[in-house]
Amino acid sequence: MAERFASRRDTFAVVVCLALSVGARAAPDALQEGIASSVRGSVLAPFLALQQQAELFRTSRTRYVAVASERDSLALSAMLVAALREENDRLRDILSLSRRVGTAHVAADVLHQSGPLGGLVLLISAGRAQGVRPLAPVLAPLGLLGVVRSVEEHHSVVIAWTHPDFRASAMTPDGSVFGIVEPAARGDRATPLLRLSGVPYQQEVETGTMLLTAGFGGVYPRGIPLGRVLGVATEQAGWERTYYVQPAVQPAQASHVIVLLGAAVNLATVFGAGQ
Amino acid sequence: MIGPKPTGRHFAVVLLLLVVLHFTVRPMYPERFLVLAPDFLLLALLLYAIRARPGSAAVAGFLVGLLSDSLRPLAFGSGMLAHTFVGFLAAWGKAVFFAENLSVTLAFLFAGSVGRDVLVLLWGGHLRGATLGWQVFLWTPLNALATAIAGAIVLILFQRWIPTRLAS
Repeated sequence: MAERFASRRDTFAVVVCLALSVGARAAPDALQEGIASSVRGSVLAPFLALQQQAELFRTSRTRYVAVASERDSLALSAMLVAALREENDRLRDILSLSRRVGTAHVAADVLHQSGPLGGLVLLISAGRAQGVRPLAPVLAPLGLLGVVRSVEEHHSVVIAWTHPDFRASAMTPDGSVFGIVEPAARGDRATPLLRLSGVPYQQEVETGTMLLTAGFGGVYPRGIPLGRVLGVATEQAGWERTYYVQPAVQPAQASHVIVLLGAAVNLATVFGAGQ
Repeated sequence: MIGPKPTGRHFAVVLLLLVVLHFTVRPMYPERFLVLAPDFLLLALLLYAIRARPGSAAVAGFLVGLLSDSLRPLAFGSGMLAHTFVGFLAAWGKAVFFAENLSVTLAFLFAGSVGRDVLVLLWGGHLRGATLGWQVFLWTPLNALATAIAGAIVLILFQRWIPTRLAS
């Protein structure tokens, strides 16, 4: 057993590893991303493919009933689409409006990873080959999940709204109140919340109000649900109020996402938000 | 109990199996219960560290950290540092302090998992305030417990393949 105590060689090995770790932490973002991307594209590629298959297996097993029921509802709705499209075209012609801008998108699976920071960034199974580009908005079925940070051939790294750098312009469904949402923590909650800031003091937002992306800044299209107002977080008398917001989506619980590829458009009608 | 004599090859198979489980069993957990999904990569590192020299365990930790940081590219380097520390301390501490006993090994796996998470959180610096508190005092211990239980199952199932004696 004595030979298992740290020898000079062991000490040297650990010092080198620690130095490399510190060097990696201090390296520029581009170099860090390059190393991570190389490892994902080589050593980890077969394991990520394995994980993607496992995700597909689980979701195909557990979500079959839900998907079948959704498909039935969609099939019913789809019967009305042709008539609506024709009516829409006729109305646009009457009003001299241009054709509606389409929203190109691609679906992807979330490949959840272990570790305590797992909910801040996510790896998804769509990349350059599927048309994903950096800063593309990422949506879960109930609302905004985050934004693409970097793209590889078949995977992308997504910053979720829980990431400290996340910001999005927000508005109420009627467009009367605007502000900025950012991640927040409340001591009595085990899961993170969002916070709406920058709301003038004289404008009050009712508890339960749905917040949508406002579409400013050119990253997130207008109308994606962000969450519902829980209550006032802080007040600066006569100046502004901030509000806690219950997020529409918890990143740790997202399994399927949609990455928007097209131009920024108004998506309020897609989610039927605010109703 | 599989096979009569533990060899390096047997042990390598167990470690490879753990790596495969990491990418196949974890995704089977429903999203709500992902926190209870064992970290098989960390488990493989700790089981390796129990029988390795501290230097080798540190290098193994560094490599596992590199994989972990590449899978979750946030606070790049924090995983390498944390896994290096945990690997080294696990090998060194196991040699100095621990008897090869199942309950002690369970506590050892739990502590290794918690230690890794705390180091990643401190070195990464991305979580603060209440979020950090919930992570350290609730989610991390829950995940560490799941990892330790998975470790116990692996040790019991493969005790003939892993050169670690379990107390009767």
